[in-house]
Amino acid sequence: MIEDERRLADAELPGDDTELQDAEPELDLGDDASALLPLGLTESSLEALLFVAERPLSRREIGLLAGVDRETVDARLGDLEVTLRDRGIQLLLSGDRVELATAPDAGALVARYVGADAVRLSPTALEALAIVAYRQPVTKSAIERIRGVDSDYTIRSLLHRRLVVELGRSSAPGRPILYGTGFDFLERFGLTSLDDLPPLDADIAGHLVDPGPTEAVMDGEGEASGA
Amino acid sequence: MTDAASALGMTNGATDLRSPAVRFGAGRRPEDSTEVVLSDWAGPLGLLLTLIEARRMDVMTVPLGALAGAYLESLATLEGDRITNISSFVAVASQLILIKSRAMLPRHAEPGEPGALPDDGPDPEAELRERLILYRAYRDAGSAMQGVAAFRIGLFRREPTAALAAAIAGARLPDAPPLDPAVLVAALQRLAVIVAPPEPPPETIRRTITLAERAAIIRAALRAAPTIVLQELLRGARDRVVIAVTFLAMLELVKRREIVVEQGMPFGPITARRTTAAERAAAGLTGNMDDTPLDESLESFR
Repeated sequence: MIEDERRLADAELPGDDTELQDAEPELDLGDDASALLPLGLTESSLEALLFVAERPLSRREIGLLAGVDRETVDARLGDLEVTLRDRGIQLLLSGDRVELATAPDAGALVARYVGADAVRLSPTALEALAIVAYRQPVTKSAIERIRGVDSDYTIRSLLHRRLVVELGRSSAPGRPILYGTGFDFLERFGLTSLDDLPPLDADIAGHLVDPGPTEAVMDGEGEASGA
Repeated sequence: MTDAASALGMTNGATDLRSPAVRFGAGRRPEDSTEVVLSDWAGPLGLLLTLIEARRMDVMTVPLGALAGAYLESLATLEGDRITNISSFVAVASQLILIKSRAMLPRHAEPGEPGALPDDGPDPEAELRERLILYRAYRDAGSAMQGVAAFRIGLFRREPTAALAAAIAGARLPDAPPLDPAVLVAALQRLAVIVAPPEPPPETIRRTITLAERAAIIRAALRAAPTIVLQELLRGARDRVVIAVTFLAMLELVKRREIVVEQGMPFGPITARRTTAAERAAAGLTGNMDDTPLDESLESFR
Protein backbone atom coordinates (compact mmCIF):
# COMPACT_ATOMS: atom_id res chain seq x y z
CA MET A 1 0.00 0.00 0.00
CA ILE A 2 2.84 2.33 0.82
CA GLU A 3 4.39 1.64 -2.56
CA ASP A 4 1.10 2.51 -4.18
CA GLU A 5 1.04 5.76 -2.30
CA ARG A 6 4.55 6.50 -3.43
CA ARG A 7 3.73 5.82 -7.04
CA LEU A 8 0.73 8.08 -6.77
CA ALA A 9 2.77 10.82 -5.15
CA ASP A 10 5.55 10.52 -7.70
CA ALA A 11 3.02 10.76 -10.47
CA GLU A 12 2.19 14.22 -9.21
CA LEU A 13 5.75 15.37 -9.60
CA PRO A 14 6.39 17.38 -12.72
CA GLY A 15 7.26 15.48 -15.83
CA ASP A 16 9.31 16.48 -18.82
CA ASP A 17 6.44 18.37 -20.38
CA THR A 18 5.83 20.40 -17.28
CA GLU A 19 4.82 23.93 -18.05
CA LEU A 20 6.86 26.38 -16.09
CA GLN A 21 5.65 29.89 -16.45
CA ASP A 22 7.50 33.07 -15.77
CA ALA A 23 5.47 35.16 -13.40
CA GLU A 24 7.66 38.25 -13.74
CA PRO A 25 6.84 40.83 -16.39
CA GLU A 26 9.19 41.13 -19.32
CA LEU A 27 10.34 44.09 -21.30
CA ASP A 28 8.22 44.47 -24.39
CA LEU A 29 10.44 45.53 -27.24
CA GLY A 30 7.72 44.76 -29.75
CA ASP A 31 8.61 44.01 -33.35
CA ASP A 32 11.38 46.58 -33.35
CA ALA A 33 13.73 44.42 -31.30
CA SER A 34 15.48 43.09 -34.37
CA ALA A 35 15.71 46.58 -35.82
CA LEU A 36 17.72 47.89 -32.86
CA LEU A 37 21.34 48.56 -33.59
CA PRO A 38 23.38 45.93 -31.74
CA LEU A 39 25.35 47.69 -29.02
CA GLY A 40 27.39 44.79 -27.77
CA LEU A 41 27.66 44.00 -24.09
CA THR A 42 30.63 44.83 -21.93
CA GLU A 43 30.90 43.97 -18.29
CA SER A 44 30.57 47.62 -17.31
CA SER A 45 27.56 48.27 -19.55
CA LEU A 46 25.89 45.17 -18.11
CA GLU A 47 26.59 46.47 -14.61
CA ALA A 48 25.09 49.85 -15.54
CA LEU A 49 21.98 48.22 -16.99
CA LEU A 50 21.39 46.12 -13.90
CA PHE A 51 22.05 49.16 -11.71
CA VAL A 52 19.32 51.16 -13.42
CA ALA A 53 16.79 48.35 -13.80
CA GLU A 54 14.19 48.52 -11.07
CA ARG A 55 13.41 44.80 -11.28
CA PRO A 56 15.21 41.55 -12.05
CA LEU A 57 16.08 41.23 -15.73
CA SER A 58 16.03 37.97 -17.66
CA ARG A 59 18.98 36.97 -19.76
CA ARG A 60 16.73 37.15 -22.80
CA GLU A 61 15.86 40.77 -22.08
CA ILE A 62 19.51 41.69 -21.66
CA GLY A 63 20.36 39.92 -24.91
CA LEU A 64 17.57 41.69 -26.77
CA LEU A 65 18.54 45.12 -25.46
CA ALA A 66 22.22 44.71 -26.25
CA GLY A 67 21.70 42.78 -29.45
CA VAL A 68 23.91 39.91 -28.36
CA ASP A 69 23.35 36.19 -28.05
CA ARG A 70 22.73 34.27 -24.87
CA GLU A 71 26.27 32.98 -24.60
CA THR A 72 27.61 36.54 -24.53
CA VAL A 73 25.12 37.48 -21.83
CA ASP A 74 26.13 34.44 -19.77
CA ALA A 75 29.81 35.21 -20.22
CA ARG A 76 29.44 38.87 -19.19
CA LEU A 77 27.31 37.86 -16.22
CA GLY A 78 30.02 35.45 -15.18
CA ASP A 79 32.65 38.19 -15.48
CA LEU A 80 30.52 40.57 -13.46
CA GLU A 81 29.82 37.97 -10.79
CA VAL A 82 33.54 37.40 -10.33
CA THR A 83 34.30 41.14 -10.26
CA LEU A 84 31.61 41.81 -7.67
CA ARG A 85 32.52 38.88 -5.48
CA ASP A 86 34.20 40.99 -2.80
CA ARG A 87 32.15 44.12 -3.29
CA GLY A 88 29.19 45.55 -1.42
CA ILE A 89 26.99 44.95 -4.46
CA GLN A 90 26.59 41.45 -5.79
CA LEU A 91 24.72 39.63 -8.50
CA LEU A 92 21.53 37.99 -7.34
CA LEU A 93 20.51 35.01 -9.46
CA SER A 94 17.16 33.27 -9.52
CA GLY A 95 16.44 31.00 -12.42
CA ASP A 96 16.88 32.94 -15.63
CA ARG A 97 16.80 36.33 -13.93
CA VAL A 98 19.46 38.51 -12.41
CA GLU A 99 19.56 41.69 -10.41
CA LEU A 100 22.02 43.72 -8.38
CA ALA A 101 21.59 43.62 -4.63
CA THR A 102 23.60 44.40 -1.57
CA ALA A 103 26.10 41.78 -0.47
CA PRO A 104 25.00 39.49 2.39
CA ASP A 105 27.66 40.88 4.72
CA ALA A 106 26.36 44.42 4.24
CA GLY A 107 22.80 43.47 5.12
CA ALA A 108 22.91 44.45 8.77
CA LEU A 109 24.24 47.94 8.05
CA VAL A 110 21.87 48.63 5.16
CA ALA A 111 19.00 47.26 7.23
CA ARG A 112 19.67 49.92 9.85
CA TYR A 113 19.41 52.59 7.19
CA VAL A 114 16.20 51.30 5.60
CA GLY A 115 14.73 50.25 8.93
CA ALA A 116 14.29 46.62 7.91
CA ASP A 117 14.20 43.65 10.23
CA ALA A 118 15.04 40.01 9.65
CA VAL A 119 12.23 37.84 8.35
CA ARG A 120 10.54 35.84 11.08
CA LEU A 121 8.52 32.75 10.30
CA SER A 122 6.87 30.09 12.43
CA PRO A 123 8.64 26.71 12.53
CA THR A 124 5.84 25.29 10.42
CA ALA A 125 6.23 27.91 7.73
CA LEU A 126 10.00 27.42 7.77
CA GLU A 127 9.56 23.67 7.22
CA ALA A 128 7.31 24.18 4.23
CA LEU A 129 9.52 26.94 2.83
CA ALA A 130 12.62 24.79 3.17
CA ILE A 131 10.93 21.97 1.26
CA VAL A 132 9.96 24.38 -1.52
CA ALA A 133 13.40 26.00 -1.60
CA TYR A 134 15.35 22.74 -1.81
CA ARG A 135 12.99 20.72 -4.02
CA GLN A 136 11.45 23.30 -6.33
CA PRO A 137 9.48 23.06 -8.50
CA VAL A 138 7.31 21.11 -6.11
CA THR A 139 3.60 20.41 -5.71
CA LYS A 140 1.56 20.92 -2.57
CA SER A 141 1.00 17.20 -2.23
CA ALA A 142 4.76 16.59 -2.27
CA ILE A 143 5.20 19.16 0.50
CA GLU A 144 2.43 17.53 2.50
CA ARG A 145 3.91 14.09 1.95
CA ILE A 146 7.17 15.19 3.54
CA ARG A 147 5.55 17.17 6.34
CA GLY A 148 2.89 14.53 6.89
CA VAL A 149 0.18 17.12 7.41
CA ASP A 150 -2.13 19.36 5.44
CA SER A 151 -0.14 22.43 4.40
CA ASP A 152 -2.73 24.43 2.52
CA TYR A 153 -2.84 27.30 5.00
CA THR A 154 0.95 27.40 5.34
CA ILE A 155 1.51 27.56 1.58
CA ARG A 156 -1.13 30.24 1.14
CA SER A 157 0.55 32.26 3.86
CA LEU A 158 3.95 31.90 2.15
CA LEU A 159 2.41 32.84 -1.20
CA HIS A 160 0.87 35.90 0.37
CA ARG A 161 4.27 36.98 1.65
CA ARG A 162 5.75 36.28 -1.80
CA LEU A 163 8.33 33.96 -0.26
CA VAL A 164 6.83 31.25 -2.43
CA VAL A 165 5.64 31.82 -6.00
CA GLU A 166 3.68 29.73 -8.45
CA LEU A 167 5.95 28.51 -11.22
CA GLY A 168 3.37 26.79 -13.38
CA ARG A 169 1.46 23.57 -13.46
CA SER A 170 2.59 19.99 -13.50
CA SER A 171 1.52 17.74 -16.32
CA ALA A 172 0.45 15.14 -13.77
CA PRO A 173 -3.27 14.31 -13.44
CA GLY A 174 -5.15 17.25 -11.99
CA ARG A 175 -2.41 19.56 -13.23
CA PRO A 176 -1.35 20.59 -9.72
CA ILE A 177 0.34 23.92 -9.20
CA LEU A 178 4.13 23.88 -8.96
CA TYR A 179 5.66 26.08 -6.31
CA GLY A 180 9.11 27.60 -6.13
CA THR A 181 10.91 30.55 -4.64
CA GLY A 182 11.55 33.93 -6.23
CA PHE A 183 13.70 36.98 -5.65
CA ASP A 184 11.76 37.98 -2.56
CA PHE A 185 12.81 34.76 -0.89
CA LEU A 186 16.48 35.26 -1.76
CA GLU A 187 16.41 38.87 -0.63
CA ARG A 188 14.61 38.25 2.66
CA PHE A 189 16.86 35.34 3.58
CA GLY A 190 20.09 37.02 2.49
CA LEU A 191 20.93 34.49 -0.23
CA THR A 192 22.60 35.41 -3.51
CA SER A 193 21.28 32.28 -5.21
CA LEU A 194 19.75 28.93 -4.35
CA ASP A 195 23.28 27.52 -4.30
CA ASP A 196 23.78 29.71 -1.23
CA LEU A 197 21.21 27.72 0.76
CA PRO A 198 22.58 26.04 3.90
CA PRO A 199 23.57 22.47 3.01
CA LEU A 200 21.04 19.78 3.86
CA ASP A 201 21.94 17.31 6.57
CA ALA A 202 24.58 15.04 5.05
CA ASP A 203 22.98 11.99 6.67
CA ILE A 204 19.94 12.33 4.52
CA ALA A 205 21.79 12.74 1.25
CA GLY A 206 21.28 9.06 0.60
CA HIS A 207 17.59 9.41 1.39
CA LEU A 208 17.10 12.02 -1.25
CA VAL A 209 17.65 9.63 -4.10
CA ASP A 210 14.01 9.84 -5.03
CA PRO A 211 13.80 13.29 -6.53
CA GLY A 212 12.36 11.95 -9.74
CA PRO A 213 11.67 14.37 -12.55
CA THR A 214 11.75 17.29 -10.11
CA GLU A 215 15.51 17.18 -10.04
CA ALA A 216 15.61 16.81 -13.79
CA VAL A 217 13.81 20.11 -14.17
CA MET A 218 16.04 21.62 -11.54
CA ASP A 219 19.09 20.50 -13.48
CA GLY A 220 17.79 22.28 -16.55
CA GLU A 221 17.29 25.42 -14.51
CA GLY A 222 20.72 25.04 -13.02
CA GLU A 223 22.35 25.00 -16.43
CA ALA A 224 20.38 28.05 -17.38
CA SER A 225 21.54 29.95 -14.34
CA GLY A 226 25.12 28.77 -14.45
CA ALA A 227 26.65 32.04 -15.54
CA MET B 1 -4.45 9.28 30.21
CA THR B 2 -7.15 11.55 31.54
CA ASP B 3 -4.86 12.68 34.33
CA ALA B 4 -2.11 13.34 31.87
CA ALA B 5 -4.43 15.24 29.60
CA SER B 6 -5.59 17.49 32.39
CA ALA B 7 -2.02 17.96 33.57
CA LEU B 8 -1.02 19.16 30.13
CA GLY B 9 -3.29 22.13 30.24
CA MET B 10 -3.47 21.99 26.47
CA THR B 11 -6.99 23.30 26.30
CA ASN B 12 -6.85 26.21 28.70
CA GLY B 13 -5.17 28.44 26.18
CA ALA B 14 -2.38 29.40 28.57
CA THR B 15 0.12 27.08 26.93
CA ASP B 16 2.60 28.66 24.56
CA LEU B 17 2.01 26.96 21.26
CA ARG B 18 4.80 28.78 19.46
CA SER B 19 7.66 26.37 19.98
CA PRO B 20 7.46 22.62 20.33
CA ALA B 21 8.54 21.30 23.68
CA VAL B 22 8.20 18.17 25.73
CA ARG B 23 8.18 18.03 29.50
CA PHE B 24 8.03 14.93 31.63
CA GLY B 25 5.83 14.65 34.67
CA ALA B 26 7.59 14.46 38.01
CA GLY B 27 7.92 11.07 39.67
CA ARG B 28 6.48 9.14 36.78
CA ARG B 29 7.95 7.17 33.96
CA PRO B 30 8.45 9.31 30.84
CA GLU B 31 6.37 6.96 28.73
CA ASP B 32 3.38 7.47 31.00
CA SER B 33 3.48 11.19 31.52
CA THR B 34 4.58 13.27 28.60
CA GLU B 35 3.65 16.86 28.19
CA VAL B 36 3.84 17.95 24.60
CA VAL B 37 3.51 21.47 23.37
CA LEU B 38 3.22 21.67 19.62
CA SER B 39 3.67 24.66 17.40
CA ASP B 40 0.71 25.77 15.36
CA TRP B 41 -0.02 23.38 12.56
CA ALA B 42 2.88 21.08 13.43
CA GLY B 43 2.31 17.70 11.89
CA PRO B 44 2.43 14.16 13.14
CA LEU B 45 6.03 13.71 12.11
CA GLY B 46 6.95 16.84 14.01
CA LEU B 47 5.26 15.43 17.09
CA LEU B 48 7.05 12.09 16.78
CA LEU B 49 10.40 13.74 16.18
CA THR B 50 9.88 16.00 19.18
CA LEU B 51 9.19 12.94 21.33
CA ILE B 52 12.36 11.25 20.10
CA GLU B 53 14.55 14.30 20.57
CA ALA B 54 13.13 14.96 24.02
CA ARG B 55 14.44 11.54 25.02
CA ARG B 56 17.82 12.36 23.45
CA MET B 57 17.50 9.36 21.20
CA ASP B 58 18.93 8.96 17.71
CA VAL B 59 16.30 8.87 15.05
CA MET B 60 18.46 6.47 13.05
CA THR B 61 18.40 3.82 15.74
CA VAL B 62 15.47 4.48 18.09
CA PRO B 63 12.93 1.62 18.17
CA LEU B 64 9.93 3.53 16.91
CA GLY B 65 7.46 0.96 18.23
CA ALA B 66 8.46 1.84 21.78
CA LEU B 67 7.18 5.36 21.22
CA ALA B 68 3.67 4.25 20.30
CA GLY B 69 2.36 4.73 23.83
CA ALA B 70 3.83 8.19 24.29
CA TYR B 71 2.61 9.20 20.87
CA LEU B 72 -0.95 8.07 21.54
CA GLU B 73 -0.93 9.89 24.83
CA SER B 74 0.21 13.10 23.17
CA LEU B 75 -2.40 12.59 20.49
CA ALA B 76 -5.13 12.50 23.11
CA THR B 77 -4.13 15.95 24.28
CA LEU B 78 -4.48 17.68 20.93
CA GLU B 79 -6.94 20.51 20.93
CA GLY B 80 -10.30 20.16 19.31
CA ASP B 81 -9.52 22.65 16.56
CA ARG B 82 -6.95 20.28 15.13
CA ILE B 83 -9.57 17.68 14.47
CA THR B 84 -9.35 18.44 10.74
CA ASN B 85 -5.79 17.17 10.77
CA ILE B 86 -6.36 14.35 13.19
CA SER B 87 -6.37 11.72 10.44
CA SER B 88 -2.73 12.36 9.64
CA PHE B 89 -1.85 11.93 13.30
CA VAL B 90 -3.92 8.75 13.49
CA ALA B 91 -2.17 7.39 10.39
CA VAL B 92 1.23 7.75 12.04
CA ALA B 93 -0.15 6.34 15.30
CA SER B 94 -1.44 3.27 13.47
CA GLN B 95 1.95 2.87 11.86
CA LEU B 96 3.61 3.01 15.28
CA ILE B 97 1.19 0.42 16.65
CA LEU B 98 1.90 -1.81 13.66
CA ILE B 99 5.63 -1.44 14.27
CA LYS B 100 5.21 -2.21 17.94
CA SER B 101 3.04 -5.27 17.28
CA ARG B 102 5.50 -6.61 14.73
CA ALA B 103 8.33 -6.09 17.17
CA MET B 104 6.49 -8.29 19.67
CA LEU B 105 6.10 -11.10 17.16
CA PRO B 106 8.98 -13.45 16.50
CA ARG B 107 11.05 -12.22 13.57
CA HIS B 108 10.59 -13.93 10.30
CA ALA B 109 12.32 -13.64 7.03
CA GLU B 110 12.73 -10.29 5.27
CA PRO B 111 10.40 -9.64 2.35
CA GLY B 112 11.60 -11.29 -0.78
CA GLU B 113 13.60 -13.89 1.08
CA PRO B 114 12.52 -17.52 1.27
CA GLY B 115 9.87 -17.93 3.93
CA ALA B 116 8.56 -14.39 3.74
CA LEU B 117 4.81 -13.95 3.88
CA PRO B 118 3.26 -12.57 0.70
CA ASP B 119 1.51 -9.67 2.46
CA ASP B 120 4.49 -8.49 4.43
CA GLY B 121 5.38 -5.56 2.21
CA PRO B 122 8.20 -3.19 3.10
CA ASP B 123 9.29 -2.74 6.67
CA PRO B 124 6.98 -0.06 8.13
CA GLU B 125 9.61 0.96 10.68
CA ALA B 126 12.19 1.62 7.99
CA GLU B 127 9.64 3.49 5.95
CA LEU B 128 8.60 5.69 8.85
CA ARG B 129 12.19 6.26 9.88
CA GLU B 130 12.99 7.39 6.37
CA ARG B 131 10.12 9.84 6.44
CA LEU B 132 11.29 11.12 9.82
CA ILE B 133 14.82 11.64 8.58
CA LEU B 134 13.61 13.44 5.49
CA TYR B 135 11.28 15.57 7.55
CA ARG B 136 14.02 16.39 10.03
CA ALA B 137 16.35 17.44 7.23
CA TYR B 138 13.92 20.05 5.98
CA ARG B 139 12.93 21.14 9.46
CA ASP B 140 16.58 21.73 10.34
CA ALA B 141 17.22 23.37 6.98
CA GLY B 142 14.38 25.77 7.73
CA SER B 143 15.95 26.62 11.08
CA ALA B 144 19.30 27.14 9.40
CA MET B 145 17.69 29.44 6.84
CA GLN B 146 16.16 31.42 9.67
CA GLY B 147 19.56 31.65 11.31
CA VAL B 148 21.14 32.99 8.13
CA ALA B 149 18.31 35.48 7.71
CA ALA B 150 18.66 36.68 11.30
CA PHE B 151 22.38 37.21 10.79
CA ARG B 152 22.32 38.79 7.36
CA ILE B 153 18.90 40.37 7.74
CA GLY B 154 18.49 40.47 3.99
CA LEU B 155 19.71 41.69 0.65
CA PHE B 156 18.53 45.03 -0.54
CA ARG B 157 18.14 46.34 -4.04
CA ARG B 158 17.37 49.68 -5.54
CA GLU B 159 13.76 50.59 -5.13
CA PRO B 160 11.86 51.27 -8.35
CA THR B 161 12.95 54.86 -8.83
CA ALA B 162 14.44 54.38 -12.25
CA ALA B 163 11.04 54.14 -13.88
CA LEU B 164 11.93 56.93 -16.28
CA ALA B 165 14.91 55.05 -17.66
CA ALA B 166 12.77 51.96 -18.00
CA ALA B 167 10.11 53.96 -19.80
CA ILE B 168 12.69 55.27 -22.22
CA ALA B 169 13.78 51.71 -22.81
CA GLY B 170 10.20 50.87 -23.74
CA ALA B 171 9.31 48.95 -20.63
CA ARG B 172 5.69 48.88 -19.74
CA LEU B 173 3.88 47.98 -16.61
CA PRO B 174 2.47 44.52 -16.25
CA ASP B 175 -1.13 44.28 -17.27
CA ALA B 176 -3.41 45.37 -14.49
CA PRO B 177 -5.87 42.86 -13.14
CA PRO B 178 -9.20 42.88 -14.99
CA LEU B 179 -11.47 45.69 -13.93
CA ASP B 180 -14.66 44.83 -12.15
CA PRO B 181 -17.55 46.00 -14.38
CA ALA B 182 -19.37 47.18 -11.28
CA VAL B 183 -16.68 49.82 -10.79
CA LEU B 184 -17.34 51.16 -14.28
CA VAL B 185 -21.08 51.23 -13.66
CA ALA B 186 -20.61 53.10 -10.40
CA ALA B 187 -18.27 55.59 -12.05
CA LEU B 188 -20.70 56.13 -14.91
CA GLN B 189 -23.55 56.68 -12.50
CA ARG B 190 -21.55 59.29 -10.66
CA LEU B 191 -20.80 61.04 -13.95
CA ALA B 192 -24.37 60.80 -15.23
CA VAL B 193 -25.93 62.60 -12.29
CA ILE B 194 -27.73 65.70 -13.63
CA VAL B 195 -26.02 68.61 -12.07
CA ALA B 196 -28.19 71.61 -11.19
CA PRO B 197 -27.33 74.52 -13.48
CA PRO B 198 -25.11 77.00 -11.75
CA GLU B 199 -26.50 80.34 -10.64
CA PRO B 200 -26.17 82.77 -13.51
CA PRO B 201 -23.75 85.54 -12.78
CA PRO B 202 -25.38 88.89 -11.99
CA GLU B 203 -26.24 90.53 -15.29
CA THR B 204 -24.46 93.73 -16.06
CA ILE B 205 -26.64 96.13 -17.92
CA ARG B 206 -24.77 98.80 -19.68
CA ARG B 207 -25.98 102.17 -18.54
CA THR B 208 -26.17 104.79 -21.18
CA ILE B 209 -26.17 108.39 -20.17
CA THR B 210 -27.02 110.79 -22.90
CA LEU B 211 -26.73 114.52 -23.15
CA ALA B 212 -30.42 114.75 -24.00
CA GLU B 213 -31.34 112.92 -20.84
CA ARG B 214 -29.25 115.15 -18.63
CA ALA B 215 -30.40 118.28 -20.49
CA ALA B 216 -34.00 117.23 -19.88
CA ILE B 217 -33.26 116.99 -16.19
CA ILE B 218 -31.77 120.48 -16.17
CA ARG B 219 -34.71 121.88 -18.12
CA ALA B 220 -37.17 120.19 -15.77
CA ALA B 221 -35.37 121.59 -12.76
CA LEU B 222 -35.43 125.07 -14.26
CA ARG B 223 -39.12 124.80 -14.93
CA ALA B 224 -39.69 124.15 -11.25
CA ALA B 225 -37.39 126.89 -9.99
CA PRO B 226 -36.06 130.12 -11.49
CA THR B 227 -32.47 129.19 -10.74
CA ILE B 228 -30.67 126.03 -9.89
CA VAL B 229 -27.21 125.32 -8.56
CA LEU B 230 -25.47 122.61 -10.50
CA GLN B 231 -23.84 121.19 -7.39
CA GLU B 232 -27.26 120.90 -5.79
CA LEU B 233 -28.64 119.16 -8.87
CA LEU B 234 -25.83 116.64 -8.77
CA ARG B 235 -26.02 116.05 -5.05
CA GLY B 236 -25.85 112.35 -4.43
CA ALA B 237 -24.47 111.54 -7.86
CA ARG B 238 -21.36 109.40 -7.48
CA ASP B 239 -20.81 108.44 -11.07
CA ARG B 240 -18.24 110.63 -12.70
CA VAL B 241 -19.79 109.99 -16.09
CA VAL B 242 -23.13 111.28 -14.83
CA ILE B 243 -21.46 114.39 -13.46
CA ALA B 244 -19.44 114.97 -16.62
CA VAL B 245 -22.35 114.42 -18.99
CA THR B 246 -24.59 116.67 -16.91
CA PHE B 247 -21.95 119.36 -17.09
CA LEU B 248 -21.64 118.89 -20.84
CA ALA B 249 -25.41 119.02 -21.21
CA MET B 250 -25.38 122.27 -19.28
CA LEU B 251 -22.77 123.67 -21.65
CA GLU B 252 -24.87 122.54 -24.63
CA LEU B 253 -27.85 124.38 -23.21
CA VAL B 254 -25.69 127.46 -22.70
CA LYS B 255 -24.56 127.23 -26.28
CA ARG B 256 -28.15 127.03 -27.44
CA ARG B 257 -28.92 130.13 -25.36
CA GLU B 258 -31.41 128.22 -23.29
CA ILE B 259 -29.76 128.94 -20.01
CA VAL B 260 -27.21 131.30 -18.57
CA VAL B 261 -24.59 130.03 -16.15
CA GLU B 262 -22.74 132.01 -13.58
CA GLN B 263 -19.96 131.06 -11.22
CA GLY B 264 -18.87 133.71 -8.81
CA MET B 265 -15.55 132.23 -7.86
CA PRO B 266 -13.43 129.26 -8.88
CA PHE B 267 -14.91 126.01 -7.52
CA GLY B 268 -17.86 128.04 -6.30
CA PRO B 269 -21.46 127.13 -6.92
CA ILE B 270 -22.51 127.13 -10.56
CA THR B 271 -25.85 128.84 -10.81
CA ALA B 272 -28.02 128.39 -13.88
CA ARG B 273 -31.16 130.18 -14.94
CA ARG B 274 -33.23 130.20 -18.02
CA THR B 275 -32.48 132.94 -20.54
CA THR B 276 -35.05 135.65 -20.80
CA ALA B 277 -36.82 136.41 -24.08
CA ALA B 278 -34.88 139.67 -24.36
CA GLU B 279 -31.58 137.81 -24.08
CA ARG B 280 -32.62 135.34 -26.70
CA ALA B 281 -33.79 138.16 -29.00
CA ALA B 282 -30.48 139.91 -28.49
CA ALA B 283 -28.75 136.74 -29.61
CA GLY B 284 -30.88 136.70 -32.73
CA LEU B 285 -33.06 133.85 -31.69
CA THR B 286 -36.76 133.67 -31.99
CA GLY B 287 -38.95 133.11 -29.04
CA ASN B 288 -39.14 129.38 -29.63
CA MET B 289 -36.67 127.12 -27.99
CA ASP B 290 -34.34 125.23 -30.28
CA ASP B 291 -35.94 121.82 -30.47
CA THR B 292 -33.28 120.16 -32.60
CA PRO B 293 -31.84 117.14 -30.86
CA LEU B 294 -28.68 117.57 -28.91
CA ASP B 295 -25.54 116.40 -30.61
CA GLU B 296 -24.57 113.40 -28.57
CA SER B 297 -21.32 112.96 -30.47
CA LEU B 298 -19.95 116.10 -28.92
CA GLU B 299 -18.71 117.12 -32.36
CA SER B 300 -19.55 120.70 -31.59
CA PHE B 301 -16.91 120.78 -28.83
CA ARG B 302 -14.07 120.24 -31.25
